[in-house]
Amino acid sequence: MPPVNIDETFTTTTDPSDLWHPVSPKLVTARRIVLLFTLVPLALFVIVLAWVLELPVTIAAIVLGVDAIAFIWAWWLIGRRVRSYAYCERGEDLLVSSGILFRRLVIVPYGRMQLVDVKAGPIDRTLGITTVQLHTAAATTDAAIPGLEPQVAADLRDRLARRGESRSAGL
Amino acid sequence: MSEIPAARPEPVETEPVETGPADPSAIGDDLGLGLAVPGSRLIDSQGHRKVHPISPLVHAVAVFPALAGVSIAAGIQRVSSVGEQLTGFPILDALPPIAAAILAIAVLAALLAVIVAGFQYLEWRAFSFWFDDDGDFRVQSGVLIKQQRRVQVSRIQTVDVTQPFAARLFSMAAVVIEVAGQDDSRVRLKYVTLADAREIRREVLARSAGLSSDTSEAPQNIVTHVPARQLALSLLLRVSTAGLLLITIAIIAVSYLTEGWGGIGVALVTGGVPLIIVLSEFVRYYGFTVAESPDGVRLRYGLFRTESRTVPPGRVQAIDYVEPLLWRRAGWARVRVTIAGVGTESSNSNNQRSETLLLPVATVDQATDVVARILPNLDTSSFVWIAAPARARRRSPIQWRNLAVGWDEHSFAIRRGRITRHLAVVPHARTQSVRWTQGPWERALRLASMHVDVTPGPVSVSGLHLDADVTRTIAFHQADAARLGRQTDHSIRWAQS
Repeated sequence: MPPVNIDETFTTTTDPSDLWHPVSPKLVTARRIVLLFTLVPLALFVIVLAWVLELPVTIAAIVLGVDAIAFIWAWWLIGRRVRSYAYCERGEDLLVSSGILFRRLVIVPYGRMQLVDVKAGPIDRTLGITTVQLHTAAATTDAAIPGLEPQVAADLRDRLARRGESRSAGL
Repeated sequence: MSEIPAARPEPVETEPVETGPADPSAIGDDLGLGLAVPGSRLIDSQGHRKVHPISPLVHAVAVFPALAGVSIAAGIQRVSSVGEQLTGFPILDALPPIAAAILAIAVLAALLAVIVAGFQYLEWRAFSFWFDDDGDFRVQSGVLIKQQRRVQVSRIQTVDVTQPFAARLFSMAAVVIEVAGQDDSRVRLKYVTLADAREIRREVLARSAGLSSDTSEAPQNIVTHVPARQLALSLLLRVSTAGLLLITIAIIAVSYLTEGWGGIGVALVTGGVPLIIVLSEFVRYYGFTVAESPDGVRLRYGLFRTESRTVPPGRVQAIDYVEPLLWRRAGWARVRVTIAGVGTESSNSNNQRSETLLLPVATVDQATDVVARILPNLDTSSFVWIAAPARARRRSPIQWRNLAVGWDEHSFAIRRGRITRHLAVVPHARTQSVRWTQGPWERALRLASMHVDVTPGPVSVSGLHLDADVTRTIAFHQADAARLGRQTDHSIRWAQS
């Protein structure tokens, strides 16, 4: 996906020339696979439990119904959440924004970055996406950019490391 | 959005503070209880320095109070029943059971002390420290597993001189050097004479401040002293303590009126636990004295175990004024600080609390005075404050009136809390990153929160439930202010600036 100009959320505070980069739609697939791995076994567990304990059908149906609604809602939400991820490399800092229900925007100055992680789990590797995570001396800095193409991630990491080096400050 | 006045009055002229010990050099020394030990500056064959040769003995003596404590906890009753079983020894039979038990415990303690002394002697032989050619501090230790640790002096956060009770008997002290880092990054030199401890502290602090190593010890002036009465009263008036004591009184009153004494067991817990906490904190912070020296602010406290901490000004990341409800009439506050790498170890929560404490209790003027010596540019009266809008009431019905963020050209601050009020301040130069967050409820009310991330510690700088658009603007401005602050900040090697 090409970078977009101006995110509607941040028109008031960022320069119009700042480019917000979205993350790869493959992240949707990755997250939906994780969702399948959690909610489908749960449904199977409920069915087996109801069968073994001879629970009334209504109770099992209610639990399964809730499970199904949660599944559909989460399925839909994942799409929106992934679309909400965006990052922007400004002159002196990196912006990461994300979230639908709980929205957040993290501003990490290049000079404050202690290290940059690039990581990918098994599902991510199969789909060909990676996560770039920034660390500062503060544990609460929560700046992870998931769902990047490996080449994009490696380039981003190198750029960030270079900028961090030239601007690094003590604690 | 409305302007609200600064939480604190401007720093008034320092009125003559009530100082405890008259002698300014009384910080971190002079607490030996008599047995002064000669000999110091032992050097081994490689030219490395050693801790004092009687250190194993000090470790051994520390066994006695510990064992006595265990015995008391086990209960006199059980101890004497042990005494009754100690038959067969002619001497023990002649004594009453309780005396026999005490004698047996004493013998046990002596044995244990000898074993401890033996192990500590081996440790002592393996332990040495020195400054290497790069000027960094090195410690070598370990009997079976040799370990050499190199401490970069520019990363040293604090240097403490502590005196456990056993060490005080010999006029000895331990030097604890704290480095920024996770896990157990501190270096402990146990034990050296007080004179040596001061000497080591002087040298380490001089080097870490970027001065030459033979700079003479910094002079110090007592800034403030917490009287025992104020300390005791403040501990009793803490919200949690006072609450539990009130519950206790209520339980006892109800029990008395209804003559149903079933609740007394609960009353023992609700009354006993806070009293024990108050007592232990009182003993810990007794005689809290703050002194100023060019090395930084020196804190000394403790009734039995004394500690002397030096907080270098350039190492403080953030501070937090805490005002519990019942302290407000007296105008008191507690001050906590975040220092990189200090108080983040998960080992001992009690230690954590004392290591991040700047003042256990003080009047606002005293607190402002002490903080001004650590963050000289901080002046909360010059802050521009932006308060939470009235609609924040629907998000935080109790604390919304006190929610605000403020800033000036040097620092950023937040206010929160109603029952226990907080004022947290972080210099722009210490800002790590800035976050803007919005939960669903905040979003419905067009509110948002912003957080300034600082190194791990007790201070959290979160401006909660403010107007969403304004907060986002402030967050971006804070990122810019932080960058400017970093460029103009030279406090890492504070003595050179």
